Amino acid sequence: MASQTDSVYVTLVSSDGFEFIIPRSAACISGTIRRMLDPASKFSEALTGRCVLETLNGVVLEKVCEYFLYNEKHKDQVNVPDMEIPAELCLELLMAADYLDT
Amino acid sequence: MASMRARNKIRAPRRSHASTPTEDFDAIWKVLASSLSGIHTKNASSLSFEELYRNAYRIVTLSRGLELYERVKALEKDWLHNHVRSQVTDSILPILLRAENGADRGMLVQEQSNERRAAAERFLSVLKETWQDHLVCMSMITDVLMYMDRTVSGDRSNPSIFVVSMALFRDNVLRVPVRPDLSITVEHVLHSTILFLVQLERDGHMIDRPLIRHCVSMLEGLYETVMEEETSRLYITTFEPLFLNASQDFYRAEGARLLEEGDATTFCRQALKRIAEEQERCNVTLSASTEPKINQVIDKELILPNIGEVVRMEGTGVRHMLDQKQLDSLRDLYTLNARVDEKKSVLTQELSNRIIELGHEINTMSLAPPPPPPPPSASGPTQNGDQATPENGKRPKDPKKEKNAEKEKPVNTQTVSAIKWVDEILALKRQIDNVWLHSFKSDQTLHKSIDDSFGEFINRNTRSSEFLSLFFDENLKKGIKGKTEDEVDALLDNGILLLRYIKDKDLFETYYKKHLARRLLMKKSASMDAERQMISKMKMEVGNQFTQRIESMFRDMAISQDLTTSYKKYMSQTNAADDDRPDLEVHVLTSTMWPMDVMGKNKDKAEAPPCVYPHQIKTLKESFERFYLDKHSGRQLSWQAAMGSADIRAKFVRSNGKVQRYELNVSTYMMVILLLFNDIADGEALTFTQIQERTQIPENDLIRNLQSLAVAPKTRVLKKEPMSKDVKPTDRFSFNHEFQSPFVKVRIGVVAGNANKVESRGQREETEKKLNEERRHIIEAAVVRIMKQRKRLTHLNLMNEVLAQLTSRFVPDVKMVKQRIDSLIDREYLERLGDEASTYVYLA
Repeated sequence: MASQTDSVYVTLVSSDGFEFIIPRSAACISGTIRRMLDPASKFSEALTGRCVLETLNGVVLEKVCEYFLYNEKHKDQVNVPDMEIPAELCLELLMAADYLDT
Repeated sequence: MASMRARNKIRAPRRSHASTPTEDFDAIWKVLASSLSGIHTKNASSLSFEELYRNAYRIVTLSRGLELYERVKALEKDWLHNHVRSQVTDSILPILLRAENGADRGMLVQEQSNERRAAAERFLSVLKETWQDHLVCMSMITDVLMYMDRTVSGDRSNPSIFVVSMALFRDNVLRVPVRPDLSITVEHVLHSTILFLVQLERDGHMIDRPLIRHCVSMLEGLYETVMEEETSRLYITTFEPLFLNASQDFYRAEGARLLEEGDATTFCRQALKRIAEEQERCNVTLSASTEPKINQVIDKELILPNIGEVVRMEGTGVRHMLDQKQLDSLRDLYTLNARVDEKKSVLTQELSNRIIELGHEINTMSLAPPPPPPPPSASGPTQNGDQATPENGKRPKDPKKEKNAEKEKPVNTQTVSAIKWVDEILALKRQIDNVWLHSFKSDQTLHKSIDDSFGEFINRNTRSSEFLSLFFDENLKKGIKGKTEDEVDALLDNGILLLRYIKDKDLFETYYKKHLARRLLMKKSASMDAERQMISKMKMEVGNQFTQRIESMFRDMAISQDLTTSYKKYMSQTNAADDDRPDLEVHVLTSTMWPMDVMGKNKDKAEAPPCVYPHQIKTLKESFERFYLDKHSGRQLSWQAAMGSADIRAKFVRSNGKVQRYELNVSTYMMVILLLFNDIADGEALTFTQIQERTQIPENDLIRNLQSLAVAPKTRVLKKEPMSKDVKPTDRFSFNHEFQSPFVKVRIGVVAGNANKVESRGQREETEKKLNEERRHIIEAAVVRIMKQRKRLTHLNLMNEVLAQLTSRFVPDVKMVKQRIDSLIDREYLERLGDEASTYVYLA
């Protein structure tokens, strides 16, 4: 288990059971997830490297993960191509962003 | 198509949490509250951050965030009050309280102190533990409640839950009475405990520095207000003043203790050690922000009140350090003094006092008769040193007595002591410079004060100009022989260094010219290169004007050499046959540039009657005069026999008929005297008066020359009747055919007058009189120059300008300047302005 603490990858789990394994650094773009995984705090997420996000369903979480990677890829760049966001997901994504402090 | 439309429709977010009425506020809070307690009891690993976060999120989305905030606050307060506080207060052992109750810290016996120390460390470590737990828990809780913080503290002016919890810690753990019945709070105990440990460390014990550091950082992490301004840190508001107060008391006592020990070196070393200690303490144990403050305390309590006493400390102070060359101690002292006083005035004062004192000693030494008696040269002159009129150089304290005391002292000893004076000053200067360089970090203020002190005592010796000039004279005559160029350079530089300090540079110039004239005319200078080097150095140091006349002396010498050569050529062309004619070497000197008193001219007798030359010389002289005036018409040549010399081949017929030849190198006067004996029969004698009548040599010079010829044992070319040391008008002289000398060439020096040496009192007054006369002209010239430019000037301004113009040459006497101004008014160069007597107007 301890090996999970400093692993490069973390697992994000949606409310409907989808699992997304993404780099830790990408996941930590979210303030909430960053705190969740902070090794200094002793919460179970930090110990296991597995975050179950009860408020997000698979569709939204997929988009969120896509954004994380998109953000990391284009960090510190200008003239970045826009990310495609389906209109029907907009509101849910906004709420997710608020929740995740992204 | 339809599916496309459905895809594009924006779906309303599913409010799953809001739609479940079962999860009302209280239920969620219950879960949350138990989780928070779990965090405090370190059971976080079983908790899911996500769950807590989601719960807090839900409460906030139910618009009850503020309520949650208040509940958390209450929960924290309750936790701190009921669990943490007792943990901390329990760790405070009675011994800590007893000390706090007023038992004097210093009175604790060693055993008690150890006991107390253990208690202190235990208390501090418990406190540190509690604080760190609190910090970790609170940061976790804050993370969980981040969403709440964002809404509650963001919208309204509520401080974040973390800040609130810190304030709660302050109020519920630190600021509570240790025991219900006592007024002493945990905070007080903490302060006194840290101070106690610091005191222990100051006394030389090892303490647990990191532990204190943790507690201090706790104080630094806590603020008086929830606004968390920099200045309201608990460390700054509560502990630091206490620490500084305690330090103040400590260093006051330390200062008194060190003073009592009465050793300046120890004081400095200890003080510097303390400073380093405090610095380290601030950086390692306490807070770096305290360093400037504790430094101030040290400066104010330990150094400032004591430094003066330390500097002047009998037997160990600056004086002692200087004498013993304790460079390190001096450097320590300098560092301390520099901390409290930009100007280092105490040190400067003491240093300059000591320099002046040492300088005085050197002055007195050089003026007082030195204990070892000089080699007995009274019976006859040696090569360069001669016995002459007794020397009296001391300032007129008790002239008569001193005159007697110095009666026996030959002049050359005086000269030696003059040179010794210069050497000693240079040695002192080197020593002080060394100290300055190594101990005083080449401080400018101190350098100036050192310079001033040197100037002060050098100028206090009224004969410094003369001594210095003698020093140069001596070195240029023989001192530089066998030395490399660099050494000569250094030697001259040293001399120039002293010249810088001498105020009356014109006096020095007078002496230098006089000594130089003798060197040049008598060909005593060891190296012309060195002479020139010296002049260029002086030029750099004092200026063009100063060396102008000296340079023209050199020019005269060079011209004379050409003149001699061309005269020789001229003679060999005109009458080559005349082989008997003596060779002539002339120096034609410009009378205004050369110090004429060297040339035997005496102030009293305006013009000495020209000496009567024997006819061979007379013809020679006339021939040269013709030659010279042909070349330069309108000039007047006056012959200065006193400075000349001649080589004579003399024949001594022994009683057994043998003939012994010697070459005598004599002064011009001696030659004239000796040639007299050519004209009289062997065995006949001439009386002093006869010689005087025939030669017209001034009496003084005649006596001296006859002394060399007839009294000095090694060069007794003439016999004198009766045999005595003094030459009296009635004495009779005859040619000494029995003259013996191991060498074929004999140099007969003239007694006194020729060698450069310290002046006698009379000569000195003479020099001064002449100097004053010269100064009068210079002052007048300066006044006129200034007035011509300004037209109108008040007395004060005029004085200032005159002084400013002249200080590079000498320090004018104010009275003399006034007299000169009056005299200029009399002669109608200046006029007093009618209504204002203190303003002068220039009359064109």
